[in-house]
Amino acid sequence: MKWISLAFKNLVRRPTRTGLAVFGVAMAVAVLFSLVQFQRGYQEGLRAELGDLGAHIMIVPRGCPYEAATIVLHGGKWPRYMDQSWYELVRDTPGISASAPIIMDAVIRGGGQENLIYMGINDNYPGLRPNWEYRRGGWFSGENTVILGASAAAKEKARVGDRIVVEDGNRIPRTELTVAGILDRTNNQDDGLYFLPIATLQRIFNLDGKIVVVLVKVADVAKVDEIADVLRQRAKQAEASMNVFPLSELLGTLKSLLANTQVFVLAIVVVALLIGGVGVLNTIMMTVYERTHEIGMLKAIGSSAADVFRLIWLETLITCIVGGVAGVLLAIGSSRAVVAVLSHALPHVPADFSLGFAWDAVGVCMAVAAMLGVVAGTYPAWRASTVSPIEAIRGGS
Amino acid sequence: MMTGTLVKATGLEKTYPLGQGEVHALKGIDLELLKGEFAMLLGPSGAGKTTTLNLMGCLDRPTGGELLLAGETLYGNGRALREGRLDAIRRDRVGLVFTEFFLVPTLTATENVQLPMLWRGAPDRGRAEELLEAVGLEDRLTHRPTELSGGEMQRVAIARALVNEPDLLLADEPTGNLDTNTRDEIFALLEKLNGERGLTVLIATHDTELAQRMRRVIHLCDGRIIGGEIDDN
Repeated sequence: MKWISLAFKNLVRRPTRTGLAVFGVAMAVAVLFSLVQFQRGYQEGLRAELGDLGAHIMIVPRGCPYEAATIVLHGGKWPRYMDQSWYELVRDTPGISASAPIIMDAVIRGGGQENLIYMGINDNYPGLRPNWEYRRGGWFSGENTVILGASAAAKEKARVGDRIVVEDGNRIPRTELTVAGILDRTNNQDDGLYFLPIATLQRIFNLDGKIVVVLVKVADVAKVDEIADVLRQRAKQAEASMNVFPLSELLGTLKSLLANTQVFVLAIVVVALLIGGVGVLNTIMMTVYERTHEIGMLKAIGSSAADVFRLIWLETLITCIVGGVAGVLLAIGSSRAVVAVLSHALPHVPADFSLGFAWDAVGVCMAVAAMLGVVAGTYPAWRASTVSPIEAIRGGS
Repeated sequence: MMTGTLVKATGLEKTYPLGQGEVHALKGIDLELLKGEFAMLLGPSGAGKTTTLNLMGCLDRPTGGELLLAGETLYGNGRALREGRLDAIRRDRVGLVFTEFFLVPTLTATENVQLPMLWRGAPDRGRAEELLEAVGLEDRLTHRPTELSGGEMQRVAIARALVNEPDLLLADEPTGNLDTNTRDEIFALLEKLNGERGLTVLIATHDTELAQRMRRVIHLCDGRIIGGEIDDN
């Protein structure tokens, strides 16, 4: 027999109570694991998503730039527009290697089940998408043609040359479009989009002369801020109501917003850990009180105060470590549900965002669980170690 | 064979506070146990039997007098050995058996016997099984206390008390919860352990029938020894 088996057998004597203590720790650790993985997954997803955008600067209509960024990153309908003529201010700015005006709109189909996002682009757009590969077909072959992202093509079950219909009740005229190209999977927002010539989209959706964003790629990345300042000056001089911001700034701001959220969530985690720890402490204290007689007997047959301390401490540690393992498994098992909840709760969630699994996050959680056990076990273990054998034995069985 | 003194108590006193007053459980007893002796403390309830055993077993501290175990002063001149040393003596040199068996319910008979060895850092399963065989429980090694009879549980408790090879076995009313037949079996077992292993045994009881079978009976009454003759019959 070993210490650990003795401690384990003591714990399973009261399965419900031990189970509840383990559950408390597991919940706290699950939240901690999800938070650690959320931070990592969100930042990586955001970085990848902004990288896939192929641009260094984003120009959007005045309003909340982060809301605009979300629309641009995920696609959608945003009731703020810029004059397409303002694009001229951008295109001619020195230091810019590529730029593209974009207009977007969306149609909800199937009673809200499907959100079809249409993006109007011009010849400049492929300059921002060097990794675009066509699975079939190619660039627009005429006015009423469309290029489908991989997922959009699968949704429409469309092949090159097929016709798809754009309609939205009385809001827009029913229009047939011929599929000119189907893109290979990009694993970013492009997969779900319907790309139309910019003028076609403006005509169908009655948005003539309007654009929603201009994406800008600079020749020298080190000069992004400098070029952004020039663009702001030009916009001001032309009284063009638009926001110019480098994507690095957007990334930093989103990270900062995320960090603020994390402080709040971390506070919840700390409270959860405290509750879990107090739960464990309470459970072990109750068992110590209940086992006073038995602990006295252990001392009567030769265990020292240090032996008793070690045993009770070990029991607490096992409770917390089992809770830690259960918590990590719980977090991994519920990660999809957590992502689904976060996707609804947060203003922007990267397209390929997931909580995932990482050994170092497991290590952090297990270390926290063990630390919880060490702290929560100290007082009950000390109380148990001070039990007088003679008093305990006199107490009767 | 009895050679030399194992336990020597001189003027041993124990007083408990009780409300505003005090209870004098032991009023200065003088007692000597020889190595290998098989002796009994006999007396009615409240005579001081359990208190004497608790003091010899390092479970409690006297309020006066002197107590030596194998020449080592446990208590004397108003001072006691430090707690850690008393723990070690209780673990290594004294075996305790109680009326209630005090077995850990979740552990098997073998594991219960291993416990005192665990405190010493060497839980030898083979030795635990050997002792259980010696007390007649070779077919109960993996049974838990709830699966054992009272007599069997007391045998496990005796095996546990012997596992660290103590010099002295102290048994406080070891047959108090047992029927007559089982009582006789346990008594015979203790007698056998004394005879075969030369173990010094001191049994506290108020059972006068058992006392008739002892070579030495120390009579206690009201915290005083009133007789400690050796019966050569």
